[in-house]
Amino acid sequence: MSVKQQELEKSWQQYKTQQRKKNLYYAFLTVLSVVVFLAIWEAVVRFQLVNVRHLPAPTVIFQTFIEKLHSTVPDGNTLGQNVIASLQVSLTGFFFAVLIGVPLGLLMGWFEPFDSFVRPLFELLRPVPPIAWIPVVVVFLGIGLKAKATIIFLTVFVSCVINSYAGIKLTSRTHINLMKTFGAGTWETFFKVGVPSAMPMVFTGLRVSIGSAWSTLVAAEMLAAKAGLGYMLQVGRGVGDARIVVLAMVTIAALGATLSALLNTLEAHTLKWKEMR
Amino acid sequence: MDALKKCLEVEHISKTFYNNKGYFTAIDDVSFDVHEGEFLVLLGPGHCGKTVLLNILAGLEEKSGGRVLYKGQEINGVNEEMSMVFQLLSLMPFKTVMENVELPLKFRGMDKKQRREVAQHYIDLVGLTGFENAYPHQLSGGMKQRVGIARAYSVHPEILIMDEPFGQLDAQTRYLMQQEILRIWQEEKRTVIFVTNNIEEACYLGDRIILLSSCPATVKEIFDMSALAKPRDIVSREFLEIRSKISDQTDLSM
Amino acid sequence: MFTANKKKSILYRLLMMVLSVSSVILLLAAYRAVALANPLLLPSFDQIGERFVKLFTTPIKGVPLTAHVIASLRRVLIAMGFAWVLGILFGFSIGWSRTLNAIFGTIFELFRPIPPIAWIPIVIMWFGVGEFPKELIVFIGSVIPVVVNTRSGVMYVEKQYTDVARAFGASRFQMLKEVVLPSAIPSIFAGLRTSVSTGWTVVLAAEMLAADRGVGALVMRGWMGNDMALVLISISVIAIIGAILSFTLIKLEKVVCPWMH
Repeated sequence: MSVKQQELEKSWQQYKTQQRKKNLYYAFLTVLSVVVFLAIWEAVVRFQLVNVRHLPAPTVIFQTFIEKLHSTVPDGNTLGQNVIASLQVSLTGFFFAVLIGVPLGLLMGWFEPFDSFVRPLFELLRPVPPIAWIPVVVVFLGIGLKAKATIIFLTVFVSCVINSYAGIKLTSRTHINLMKTFGAGTWETFFKVGVPSAMPMVFTGLRVSIGSAWSTLVAAEMLAAKAGLGYMLQVGRGVGDARIVVLAMVTIAALGATLSALLNTLEAHTLKWKEMR
Repeated sequence: MDALKKCLEVEHISKTFYNNKGYFTAIDDVSFDVHEGEFLVLLGPGHCGKTVLLNILAGLEEKSGGRVLYKGQEINGVNEEMSMVFQLLSLMPFKTVMENVELPLKFRGMDKKQRREVAQHYIDLVGLTGFENAYPHQLSGGMKQRVGIARAYSVHPEILIMDEPFGQLDAQTRYLMQQEILRIWQEEKRTVIFVTNNIEEACYLGDRIILLSSCPATVKEIFDMSALAKPRDIVSREFLEIRSKISDQTDLSM
Repeated sequence: MFTANKKKSILYRLLMMVLSVSSVILLLAAYRAVALANPLLLPSFDQIGERFVKLFTTPIKGVPLTAHVIASLRRVLIAMGFAWVLGILFGFSIGWSRTLNAIFGTIFELFRPIPPIAWIPIVIMWFGVGEFPKELIVFIGSVIPVVVNTRSGVMYVEKQYTDVARAFGASRFQMLKEVVLPSAIPSIFAGLRTSVSTGWTVVLAAEMLAADRGVGALVMRGWMGNDMALVLISISVIAIIGAILSFTLIKLEKVVCPWMH
């Protein structure tokens, strides 16, 4: 090894140490802020600076969490049963919406006659917030799995269609012409160039909609359900037990975050060719 | 040569980039002088660290070794006497032509009326009169580059650094802009350091050409072009001779 | 898709128009058929018309439809005003400073996954059912997209723009004012657009769960009183107002950002 190379090697090691220190500093700040936040919360409740009945301390919430794993008070389900009920509803609705919405959006973006026919209907229904559909759906389908899954379906469906539509419209002319030059038909071009070009936008749609699906689900379960995390939230409020309410909120948030993390992983795997920021 | 005053001395500059996976040397021990009032061209292939070198001169990038002297004084970081025309046009898309050109003056705290006047002078000089209130996206590639040039001139720099300013232009516009840059340079005499990967452009514009090698960038050879009067005839024999001499020395990797 | 064939025949365009119109007609016809088959579940068009008139002649809770709309709008606009100002300021600070992001951005990330609607029960427990709790819930819902988008707009300012500012000797404040802020505006506006639709959805949920005025309360009253005509009218009003709100924002964006195509 030449002297020059040794020197470079040395400064590289220095660089790495420096970088590690910097990352550690920010990681430390991140952890510290969470700890301080929880400590302040705990202290505020312990020293009764707020009404304890309305704000349980973090430790109490954890205790409730352990109890709720096997206790069915007050909503008649254990936490696990509620989680499963909510996941079942949201994933069923999500699955069907993606299955129908994505191809519909892609076709609308590719074939103009199809677009002309479907778009007016779509534009009429689009501005209705999904929550507003709850009464209509419940009147027809009751308050079971089917009804709530339908509401989730409506929520996810809209953003699936919009984003697939916008995505496939972004297909570059050059790629289409290239396919034509090679003698590919409309359908072949659609599958080999249009659909892959639309994929990043399709995923954007999925990411947006998993969030709103989860949020709509909570609303649906608060308004019409016999199980699920939204139902637990509503019953907790009904009996005035803030511990149940906050535990439900924490669980909803944790599951929601997990779902989006899963989707991000899926996206990273599917869109390997795309450079991610 | 001794009669020419040294304006900028670049001494043993090197630059190594590090990341967690390893390191990479972009510039290795580059030294050259820049003379006052000359049009100096740095010619080098594709990605050979030319932009990095300019960024070091402009103070945008830290150097790993060596030093830069401006009129005998060592300089570090951003220097008021230098100004830059960027490779990516780098015009602010949210500012009009006028606002883009007067932005550097605003940074230097010039009052509004005065900076309007100065900016207008350079907008006129680059031939964009009438487009003061246009946004960059409304302009053609060549016009955008004129804005970039006006912006760089607006601060009255001693040294103008131009980083492949015409790289994004089509051949026709590029040729036109080369003539334009000579016209502007002759009207407002400044020291220019011009980077390009195009041999013909280098021969057409440069008083001297510093030929850089491929990665890591080192100085390969320095050509004195001052014998050829400007504007140069690109099909004259002298021109073609020197052109082929340079291209024999050039690394072809792009 | 094949936009290159710009010059399409008049006949083709006419056909497309016929397709568009016929789909709407088909939808209305389908509704009518379903309503006829289930007269108890869905009202006919006549009944909907009658119900609409009745909203003004015998108003619900003593106020006509317009007052309910205004009640909802008021809640949304007040909450959104605060959400925009505070959200942009907060998003800006955590986008600008990595230290602030490590401290306060983390806390924000803890709260972010809680759907705004899930806040409703606890907020009601804390503050009752007045105006403030509803505005607070709308605020929570609409501040999140503003913060997220402002932060990423500031964090991901293109290096070429900050390089220009640095090369010309901008101070930190000048960099912020002349470069970072304007280049983050498109991203901030994306956040504002999302906040409007979220805010409008959340106010609806809040009113459905606890209110006696507002469009959400109308939906709830129709549902509970087995008055489907009222439900459908309310949904249409909600959709129209929502569409107007997002349209206004798009117009506003064009005024504020004249450089965007």
